[in-house]
Amino acid sequence: MSKSFRTGSAVKTGFIGALLLSSALVAQAHAATFRLGVASDALTVDPIASSDNPSIWTELLIYDQLVRPSKDGTKLEPGIAESWTVSPDGKEFRFKLRDAKFSDGAPVTAADVAFSLKRAAGDKSEWGRFFRPITSYEVVDDHNIVMKLDKPFTPILNNLAMFSASILPQKLVEAQGAAFFEHPVGSGPFVLKSWSRGQKQELVKNPNYWEKGKPSLDAASIEVVPEDNSRVLKLKAGELDAIIGVPFNQAESLKSDPNVQVSVAPVFRIDLVQLNTTKAPFDNLAVRQALNYALDKDAIIKGILRGNAKPATSSIPVMAYHNTELKPYPLDLAKAKELLKQGGVPNGFKTSMLVSAGDVTARQVASAIQASLKKIGVEVELQTIEGSSQFSTTKSGNFQMSLSYATSDTIDPDQLVGFTAVNPERANAFHTQWKSEKLNELYAQERTTLDGPERGKQFKEIEALTHEGAPFIFLYAPSQPYASRKTVSGFEVLPTSNYSLKDVVLK
Amino acid sequence: MSIVFFCISRLLQLVPVLLGITVVAFLLLRVMPGDPATLMLGSRGTPEDIAALTTQLGLDRPLWVQYLFFLGDIARGSFGRSIAYKAEIGPLLVARLWPTLALVGLSTVIAVIVTVPLAMYTAVRRGSLVDHAVKFFFVAAMSMPAFWLGVLLVLLLAIVFPIFPVSGYGDTLPAHLHHLALPAFIIALGTCALTIRSLRSAIIAVLGADYVDTARAKGLPERAVLWRHVFRNSLMSTISVLAVHTSWVIGGTVVIETVFGIPGLGSLLVASISARDYPMVQGLTVTFAVLVVIINLLADIGYALVDPRVSLS
Repeated sequence: MSKSFRTGSAVKTGFIGALLLSSALVAQAHAATFRLGVASDALTVDPIASSDNPSIWTELLIYDQLVRPSKDGTKLEPGIAESWTVSPDGKEFRFKLRDAKFSDGAPVTAADVAFSLKRAAGDKSEWGRFFRPITSYEVVDDHNIVMKLDKPFTPILNNLAMFSASILPQKLVEAQGAAFFEHPVGSGPFVLKSWSRGQKQELVKNPNYWEKGKPSLDAASIEVVPEDNSRVLKLKAGELDAIIGVPFNQAESLKSDPNVQVSVAPVFRIDLVQLNTTKAPFDNLAVRQALNYALDKDAIIKGILRGNAKPATSSIPVMAYHNTELKPYPLDLAKAKELLKQGGVPNGFKTSMLVSAGDVTARQVASAIQASLKKIGVEVELQTIEGSSQFSTTKSGNFQMSLSYATSDTIDPDQLVGFTAVNPERANAFHTQWKSEKLNELYAQERTTLDGPERGKQFKEIEALTHEGAPFIFLYAPSQPYASRKTVSGFEVLPTSNYSLKDVVLK
Repeated sequence: MSIVFFCISRLLQLVPVLLGITVVAFLLLRVMPGDPATLMLGSRGTPEDIAALTTQLGLDRPLWVQYLFFLGDIARGSFGRSIAYKAEIGPLLVARLWPTLALVGLSTVIAVIVTVPLAMYTAVRRGSLVDHAVKFFFVAAMSMPAFWLGVLLVLLLAIVFPIFPVSGYGDTLPAHLHHLALPAFIIALGTCALTIRSLRSAIIAVLGADYVDTARAKGLPERAVLWRHVFRNSLMSTISVLAVHTSWVIGGTVVIETVFGIPGLGSLLVASISARDYPMVQGLTVTFAVLVVIINLLADIGYALVDPRVSLS
């Protein structure tokens, strides 16, 4: 009796000791720093050599661009450029820079802007094509710069808002070369203080940031927590203040936690099934439309995405110049069967669909598509494929159907149109090989028409043509759930998928 | 002296093994569909952009030329530059090496501490309730997938009773140990399931040997018989099991590293394969191979220390 009591109390003492030790360790790590959990680490902070989201997101925190998207993603607002004018012929852009300083105290000058953009257009840049339409830079004085184009190229202004157009200090980059990016200096709201690869990036406030009173945080750390469950648990346990990439099925249960608030970001992303229009029967328009009529998009959105999506009308999500007159293909099995008959396959056919391995939502959606299409006699075999192989497989044309998605780095529909609808351009209409001469023409026009209703009409027509031509099964535009503790205010994931930290306040 | 000579000769034997491994790793990667340039540019690149980047990365050269450059890098004591990270591979790899070594080392220490007393007790008291309980517990532990067990333990010991952090690696040595305790324990459970069984049956076999009777007959106390004679003679097979299992764990930490967010080699390997970061994957493969050989070397030295009949030559 007394022996068992002793053991019990020993265990209890050990337990309490461990508890004290752990709370001491946790308290030590917590010192008024905003801690954000993300799924993967950045690879580099060189803006012209980045293409993965984590790198891009960090760059947008530490560097500024001439202009930047507004928070709601509907227009461009001033960045380092206080104001700008575009000549009526669309071939001359004048920017007036504000009095901004880099984090080391040096002023941001027009020469830095010219240097950074020339670098972004250079041979070493992965993004050169986005900036090469600018053919000359004229540094008027420290605060004024004029850029000239040989022919009008309307998307250029949006390209200047991209991370790859970040303004770097010319002197430091030239003096340090690649070493600059180990201790980068920018004029953004934060400074990258240290980076433990695969673990976390520590940011501190840029004392010289030009927006008065911002950021309110002294420091932030971006912690890599690859596992979805761990990220959610760490938020619940208070080891993180906010997380992005909350799985749809966990967003609901997180809402019931009294210490946590869940929000959704309407990101520019579109999910669709690519149809290889060079292969029968997908070469037939009626068949492609039939597949669109056979799908119950609302059920998929409700059942799998827990309502966090809008049904798609075309391959462009709701963004600038959206065609509001288009309606998504409704569920209409009779019409779908009728169209199959017109397409010469009245009894359906057998086919296969590529699905990215390791993406739980994609797997569930694929099964739902499989079940829906079976109702019109189309038997779909699901082929799971490693995510990195899927793009090259569809690119090589070695597929029939493929469940995929596309996202936009800019708030202008030009990028997604060029990628998903124009052939050849960049990707042969997202590898479907579908081609509409009319659409290609509109794309060329849109790129030389100044922003305004005229350009809007062109985009609306492009969307209508894509909807009609149905090179995809149009699925939905999902929103992205993210969560933070109730002690956090002002944390937001933006439509371009990156997050803003400059307005975050920790209570 | 002989140990030093032995180690050097074993490391020299490693060279042809490593050459073979580099060839296989090199070719396997190139057979996989997907190439780094396409993956990096993705939706944004035109075919010309992708071709230009491929040239810039040196991936348009003939395979054998690329392979020779890779060997040249190794000969200079570097693995070249990572395609994804755009930086020298050496420092990136070393930074990730420590968490993995700490995790594997800690789990092995825990496994040994748990195995020795339990195996000895269950061997001496075989058929007892404790013997059956231990057997049942470790078979059950081994049957559970590590990621599932990991999540369960996190729920219990990090959320309900917040003793350990949910995941991460920490910044200081005590914090590292605090963060690694749970994952190391989970790996150790799997190791123990094997080593306890192996050591227990070895001890039972040795207990029946004539020299044990002799030791007892000459009046040695039971404690001395068990630890000096029985235990030492039972260790050989368990050292092999431990070595083989530890080599396997080094390559297999990726699941635990992912669940617990430990910035180790396993998670780096998976990310690098997804990005088709050829030089990084090659560097990691060579590193893993060297680690496995080193563990086997340690096991050989262990044999020699335990059994004087084994000579290091």
